[in-house]
Amino acid sequence: MSFFTVDRLSAGYGGAPVLRELSLSVEEGEITGLLGVNGCGKTTLIRAVCGQMPHRGTCILNGQRLEGLPPRALARRCAYLPQRGSIVLDLSVLDVVLMGCNPWLGLLEQPDEKMREHARQALRRVGLAGREHDNYLALSEGQKQLCLLARTIVSGTQLLLLDEPEGGLDVVHRGRILRLLRRWVRQTGGRAVLAALHDPALALNGCDRLVLLDKTGASEVLTPSRDPLSVMEAALSRLYGPVELVRCPTRAGGTRLVMLKEEREEEWEWDR
Amino acid sequence: MRPSTALHTARRDPRLLCAAAALLLAALCAASLAVGKYSLTLGGLLEGDGLQTQVFWMLRVPRTVLGAAGGFCLGVTGFVYQTVFRNPLASPDVIGVSSGASAGAAAGILFFPGAVGTGMCAFAGALAAVAAALALAALDRTGRNGTIVLAGIAVHALAQTVLMLLKLTADPERELASIEYWIMGSLSGVRIPALGIELALCAVCLGALFLLHRQLLLLSLDEGEARMLGVAVGRLRLIVLLTATLAVSAVISLTGLIGFVGLLAPHAARLLAGDNRRGTMALSGLLGGVLLCGADILARSLTAVELPVSIFTSLLGAPFLLYLVGKGGRRS
Repeated sequence: MSFFTVDRLSAGYGGAPVLRELSLSVEEGEITGLLGVNGCGKTTLIRAVCGQMPHRGTCILNGQRLEGLPPRALARRCAYLPQRGSIVLDLSVLDVVLMGCNPWLGLLEQPDEKMREHARQALRRVGLAGREHDNYLALSEGQKQLCLLARTIVSGTQLLLLDEPEGGLDVVHRGRILRLLRRWVRQTGGRAVLAALHDPALALNGCDRLVLLDKTGASEVLTPSRDPLSVMEAALSRLYGPVELVRCPTRAGGTRLVMLKEEREEEWEWDR
Repeated sequence: MRPSTALHTARRDPRLLCAAAALLLAALCAASLAVGKYSLTLGGLLEGDGLQTQVFWMLRVPRTVLGAAGGFCLGVTGFVYQTVFRNPLASPDVIGVSSGASAGAAAGILFFPGAVGTGMCAFAGALAAVAAALALAALDRTGRNGTIVLAGIAVHALAQTVLMLLKLTADPERELASIEYWIMGSLSGVRIPALGIELALCAVCLGALFLLHRQLLLLSLDEGEARMLGVAVGRLRLIVLLTATLAVSAVISLTGLIGFVGLLAPHAARLLAGDNRRGTMALSGLLGGVLLCGADILARSLTAVELPVSIFTSLLGAPFLLYLVGKGGRRS
């Protein structure tokens, strides 16, 4: 049995189903990316796993059903990085990161020095060293996202759910987040990441496995490091329309996957 | 909460600010003990002049304690409401506390004349309104913040209607005037036993809120985000709101409605300290005390007749808030 499995999950908004009987599995030590066009249900799936949407079907993490778990127990197993944080108060960066310790603290307990050190270390890892006492609201969107990433790392959960984390990030930070998570997942053990992603290039090069979500609710699984180029190209074309996939050598001697979307001129004109 | 984001560069030590605010509050308390229609002398008090001692202990001390402690309570609970509702304009009124208390007080004035009866009815009215608002909100299983606000508006409207009906039946000469006067708020006529009970209740509630400070900040997040940080959002929010409401109800059942303290004090504290730490919450309370004490001193010393204290909380508070916002705007 896989580390994390979603079994025949159906969910939707007000009677219109977005996900129909979706099943997928995530292996320990891997980053699994969710790809699909807007509205295919990436966010819906993440929200359903988080227990924020009513749904049919089950999610099982390490033998434990997630449905029906109280918030504290759920938060000790899964952490969630939203598309955009919802913090509206002036808080220091360190205080934001320390929120990640909440599932492990009693209602009236305060984070101890060990947790603070842990939080500072996470901030160093994401590249926000020395910013502990800055105001979170004064950070750039990208830095905010990195700060929230540090918060999810501090919570030390088995499963990390990311909902389009690259949204507000520039090209430097995008790659950084996935590389950082890959290292974290491999080195700490007993963890996995499930990330809904917008950017196919990022997903192809940064994830161990990809789940492609179709608008009709069907799904396909790719392993970018092993699958032949033609198979992946066909699968991605079914998702995004005709695309071209090439393995591009880099100066450093490795290769990277590049996806080119075929643009067609459309046959209409603006009224004058 | 937009106004306070501008000040992120000006982070001051909240302990220093709290100490300054506490000193100011102490000075105002001393002034409040001394000021009044009947003039007191230190000599007379020390010699044990009967009338002076009585005025001091029966009138001035309860009034001063109520001003300082009541203001503190309104300031802290204002901070709590604004944080939990993620809204800089949130106040106890949002979930119907004030209107419930007014309707209760009106009923008390009509059916149980006397300060104790009015106070008890106001307290019961406030709690009933909030219980109704929270119960209505609980009907919506998703437990969104917006639902509580909507339920609060509905309850507020209902309580206003009840208040209007009670006013219609009131005798315009005496009862209607008392109702209007109660709604305007005043610190006069407080008796020690009632004050003691209500303040003990406030102390317990505020203590709990200070202990829950970390959870308050978590409640200011989106429902889903807070849940995934292990917060039982619905239950915790209910506990926090009920606790804060209990404290507010205790104060306004003694004083009547007091405008602006719960709105202004937290903003001022945030603008001064530039963050939302526990120290800022305490600062918010101290500033509330300063505002209410100061307003009360003016209310009973400016003219021969005592004026409603709310006039002065707004008169003192509004320019101060504008000053802080303007100062914050320039700095950024």
